[in-house]
Amino acid sequence: MQLFFGDLIPYAPELLAGLGVSVLITVAAVLIGSPLGVGVYLLRAAGNPVARAVGSTYVEVIRNTPLLLQLYLIYFALPSVGVNFDPITAGIIALSVNNSAYLAEIYRAGFEAIPKGQIEAADALGLSRRATFFHVRLVPALRNVLPSLTNQVILLFLASSIASIVAVPELMHVMMGITTSTFRTIETFVVGGLLYFIVAFLIAGASRLVETRGIRWKVA
Amino acid sequence: MFTSFDLSDLVLILQGAFVTLQICFLSVILGGVVGIASGILAASPSAPLRWISAIWVGAIRGVPVLLIIFFVYFALPLMSPGSNIPDYWAAVLALTIFASAYISEIVRGSIQAIPRGQFEAAQALGLSWPKQLRHVVMPQAARIMVPPGIGFLVVLIKDSSLVAVIGLIELTRAGNIVASQTGQPILAYVVVGAVYFVICFALSTAGRRYERRLTIHARAPRVEDALTPSRGDSK
Repeated sequence: MQLFFGDLIPYAPELLAGLGVSVLITVAAVLIGSPLGVGVYLLRAAGNPVARAVGSTYVEVIRNTPLLLQLYLIYFALPSVGVNFDPITAGIIALSVNNSAYLAEIYRAGFEAIPKGQIEAADALGLSRRATFFHVRLVPALRNVLPSLTNQVILLFLASSIASIVAVPELMHVMMGITTSTFRTIETFVVGGLLYFIVAFLIAGASRLVETRGIRWKVA
Repeated sequence: MFTSFDLSDLVLILQGAFVTLQICFLSVILGGVVGIASGILAASPSAPLRWISAIWVGAIRGVPVLLIIFFVYFALPLMSPGSNIPDYWAAVLALTIFASAYISEIVRGSIQAIPRGQFEAAQALGLSWPKQLRHVVMPQAARIMVPPGIGFLVVLIKDSSLVAVIGLIELTRAGNIVASQTGQPILAYVVVGAVYFVICFALSTAGRRYERRLTIHARAPRVEDALTPSRGDSK
């Protein structure tokens, strides 16, 4: 067996463009999924039992069904009731919705880890409710869950490859196109796999930098 | 051209569910064997052994599952021209490779979660590393592996839906077929989603129950930790 990686050189711009689309839909799903996740968390933490039930049902249904099926439902099934999306929009919606359920769980873990005494102490010091929420709950909670948040972003980035199935022109889709036109299947998978790996590795590395010495979080 | 959604469609979906469960069961057993070996290497005192495991785990976890599936199905047969792998076994092999890396992380995390004093006490008694593992560490680690292991099984069942794209008629593909035959995609996908939900929710609930019952000093590792093969590795 001989490998010809040179045959892929003309396709470098195409591969990088695909990677760009992968990164782009991941960023979009993070930007949309994050506030959505906060909303779902707030529902789950609400005093109203109906709101709590809605929040937990959402999280459990999303987390216990495959992303591919969620994408199929949005892209292939919704048109039957007259709701049409182009592939990229469908991909971003599916990834955002999926991401929001996982983020809601991560936020919940972060908030639940804040000792009650901290909040009482803030009260005793006469901090306003808003200041308490921001300085005593939100910022420490985010700091606690930073590793989980980065993992979620990495998983989301890798999961964005699933959008190739509805013809979103991201990296996986570009790779499949290249294999059919060049027949350099093994080489394409190795190069494409490396590109995925490098980006995932960079996200992990960036998070570790922030965690260890990058940003100094102000707690109060 | 469309037939109405009837019993035969439901049967097809349930048959698909059976295939999904089969391939997940096979790949969790096979991936478990590789993963436990790799996890033990990752927690071993020898640096070269740890590296072998870290490269395997890092490479698998750094790429999408879909890529592993396509690689096994399209690229692997090219390595020995003329051969091909049936859909079913391509799916099992791809999911086995995927599972091995995640199970390796769970095993490594569980071994490392056992307090150092346990290793030191076993060492003081004159036990070799394999004996420390077998008699002292693994019996304790095995218990804390269960909840993240069940968590991973849920991930595996969901991700096994991706083998639908190489043509194997498992749960998701069965849903596709029913959707196009009946012209009722929403109904078909909701039924398929419900089947996935029943299986996965039962598993995740069982995992949480077990975790709550677990009274052990060490904390179980998290399944979702992607790409952090050497974190917390202080040996």
